[in-house]
Amino acid sequence: MAGSNEVNVNESKRVVPLNTWVLISNFKLAYNLLRRSDGTFNRDLAEYLDRKVPANTIPVGGVLSFDHVDRSTGLLNRVYLRAPESGGQAAAAAPWGFKELEKPLSCTSVVPVIVFFHGGSFTHSSANSAIYDTLCRRLVTFCGAAVVSVNYRRSPEHRYPCAYDDGWAALKWVTSRPWLHSGTENNSKVHVYLAGDSSGGNICHHVAVRAAEAGVEVLGNILLQPMFGGQKRTESEARFDGKYFVTVRDRDWYWRAYLPEGEDRDHPACNPFGPRGRSLDDLVGKFPRSLVVVPGLDLVQDWQLAYVEGLRKSGLDAKLLYLKEATIGFFFLPNNDHFYTLMEEIKSFVSPRCDSLQKA
Amino acid sequence: MGPGKPPPPPRTELDGFLAGAGYKVRSSDLHHVAQRLERLESAMVSSPSHVVSHLTSDTVHYNPADLVSWVDSLLSELTHSYHHPNNSSAPTSSTSSSSHSLPVDLDDLFAIPSAANNWLQPEMPLSQPPQLTVFTTMEEDSGIRLVHALMTCAELVQRGDLHLAGTLVDEMTALLTRINTGCGIGKVAGYFIDALSRRVSGAGSAPASPHETEILYHHFYEASPYLKFAHFTANQAILEAFEGHDCVHVIDFSLMHGLQWPALIQALALRPGGPPILRLTGIGPPSPDGRDTLREIGHRLAELARSVNVRFAFRGVAVSGLEDVKPWMLQVSPNEAVAVNSIMQMHKLLGPDPSPIEPVLSWIRGLNPRIVTLVEQEVNHNQTGFLDRFTEALYYYSTVFDSLEAACPVQPDKALADMYLQREICNIVCCEGAARIERHETLAQWRDRLNRSGFRPLPLGSNAFKQASMLLTLFSAEGYSVEENEGCLTLGWHSRPLIAASAWQASPLSAAIADGDN
Repeated sequence: MAGSNEVNVNESKRVVPLNTWVLISNFKLAYNLLRRSDGTFNRDLAEYLDRKVPANTIPVGGVLSFDHVDRSTGLLNRVYLRAPESGGQAAAAAPWGFKELEKPLSCTSVVPVIVFFHGGSFTHSSANSAIYDTLCRRLVTFCGAAVVSVNYRRSPEHRYPCAYDDGWAALKWVTSRPWLHSGTENNSKVHVYLAGDSSGGNICHHVAVRAAEAGVEVLGNILLQPMFGGQKRTESEARFDGKYFVTVRDRDWYWRAYLPEGEDRDHPACNPFGPRGRSLDDLVGKFPRSLVVVPGLDLVQDWQLAYVEGLRKSGLDAKLLYLKEATIGFFFLPNNDHFYTLMEEIKSFVSPRCDSLQKA
Repeated sequence: MGPGKPPPPPRTELDGFLAGAGYKVRSSDLHHVAQRLERLESAMVSSPSHVVSHLTSDTVHYNPADLVSWVDSLLSELTHSYHHPNNSSAPTSSTSSSSHSLPVDLDDLFAIPSAANNWLQPEMPLSQPPQLTVFTTMEEDSGIRLVHALMTCAELVQRGDLHLAGTLVDEMTALLTRINTGCGIGKVAGYFIDALSRRVSGAGSAPASPHETEILYHHFYEASPYLKFAHFTANQAILEAFEGHDCVHVIDFSLMHGLQWPALIQALALRPGGPPILRLTGIGPPSPDGRDTLREIGHRLAELARSVNVRFAFRGVAVSGLEDVKPWMLQVSPNEAVAVNSIMQMHKLLGPDPSPIEPVLSWIRGLNPRIVTLVEQEVNHNQTGFLDRFTEALYYYSTVFDSLEAACPVQPDKALADMYLQREICNIVCCEGAARIERHETLAQWRDRLNRSGFRPLPLGSNAFKQASMLLTLFSAEGYSVEENEGCLTLGWHSRPLIAASAWQASPLSAAIADGDN
């Protein structure tokens, strides 16, 4: 591996814009420093290095945000909303949020609410990390949705199933907010979707299973380069190991940090359709339809594609968006076509037209 | 390169996309950074693992937003360790060994021993019973109505319609009876209604006597981590700035009970190579009753210093306000390293013209200090528009009170800490002109001001961050967070920074003259 470093570095540099390369390489190297070989993690340094941004009730680029903390669990959600268009003097002067939180998002049309789980392989980042705050704001802008970003507990301090528990708690909180309702009188409810990248995508799946089993309606799942794996080594893992910012070794480390101690990667959290997984055919009609986005240069893609297969074999609706020349993290900076393709796909996935089609 | 791609930015400007990710990199530097990242990766791969792990465990990191210098500092740390395997804690300017940090033993952190020695609370279990309902999502109906009313009232005040504002004050007072004013939105609203009432009626707010202020300050110190964080972080920076100096002089802009200094004295005592000669100049208000409070505090500190063999001298400077301090009163001598320490004081100098802030910053610079430590509330309470100011204050103090409720159930600290904050609220809401001294401004504003006044930032590093985080774990309430902000540290409650600590030194004179604006 040492000898082939030169080649690897040049390859990844060729397929992404320079600023993207700088951003993701910076993460890669910083993360290498933070992971210890004994499985522990330098959380202090990680928090120090992570670039964070505060919420802002004053609209920036037409999007405002605020944080909510659940008193009983300490779980923080950051809510992103499109700024109200009716500007009037009084509306501008009074702080947003006090009046509007009493009313639904809309009484005339459907406004999708996306519950977003940030990535970081279960270990890194937070809802208030700059890269994710920016991404959520872009989701609001492009898709006209409300977004709720969940600050779930991370490994190795909090292993499976903490992230799923927090995701489930967040979903229940979101679906019970009157001020996140939209739609006309007959159809006023929270039109909720789950979305996430990397570990966030994995969390989407498991929370959606819980929701389906509990009869809580989720209109769609958006899994962006979701983090799945398994004991056996796949062809994509061999082919892309170390080539585009990610190594099999670091993937193994994160699974060891998340899964219960002593477990292997065929644990159903990691490999939901593997030897210890289960078919979801009993959840047809309850489990949401899925949009799975796979970057063509992601070493984990064989597992992501297997996940799509697993969904389809269970009789579930799964759309695959395969972006041939995309690397992981292509969506952090809007400086490439894949980013815009992704936003268009998500927008149409959450648009009410699709929703009503499903109802019909 | 598709149709949607934006045109490339001008070369000297920051890369806009990386800025959105929290990193400041000039477009023209991108290639350079990329190259250094590649070199760093090769160096990490080819270095022995103990060297690389030293990079994370012992190396102090600074200002991660400045990617170029962060990568470079890691590279030089690695190359140095690689070439000097026996001296893995390299004394380069960007790193320092962790043995120079303040002792974490909490008894050392505690101030002059006194009866109220119990802010060290035992850690409470993480899964606490549900706390009091507090004003964050405003779902409680009366709470929402109250906040509407507060905003409307403030708007009326701004418009000059005091009669109508007064009516609204009465309505709000009535609304208050229907909700719990012991905590949460009720309590905060109560203070703001009271402040508005004073403003509208013209009663105003009488300033507290210095004695009262000191007592309230002490209880605020006990009840929350904010002042401890301020002292702790400032001390860490001062300690580092004093490395290698045998004569050091700390100028404290507000001595109060001298709570900050025992920890520094003890840290200096334990310094490798022995303690320096320490002078402390404490600035404070004159004592009314013939006592010399400053001198008494100085005396106690001197005793402590003597007990740990630190040669120590104290001088008190009694003035009603910082604007009355003249540099000659501080008697700085040329061979000593000077630290100027200002905890929540500078904002008082931002009053109306002629505002004393520039002259004061100027004489501070004239002292050629090794370091200026500045801790201020992280909020802008100095806007001219009343409604804007009122709104900021409502948000800000709601969050502060929220954090106090979670952190400090102990009385009487809590009640008196509340009063300390209430006085600030009153000053911000009721007072104008020279009487309004709580003119808080944000870190960004202070950065701007200090840069223009001939100072440059001294970044606070990951060691200070780590120790501040450790300090926080002593407070049973989960929810406090320390964040790094371009070389400064902030302490906040649930992702809202509430107080910001930064360190500065004088820019070289030629640079200041070249700026042309001072």
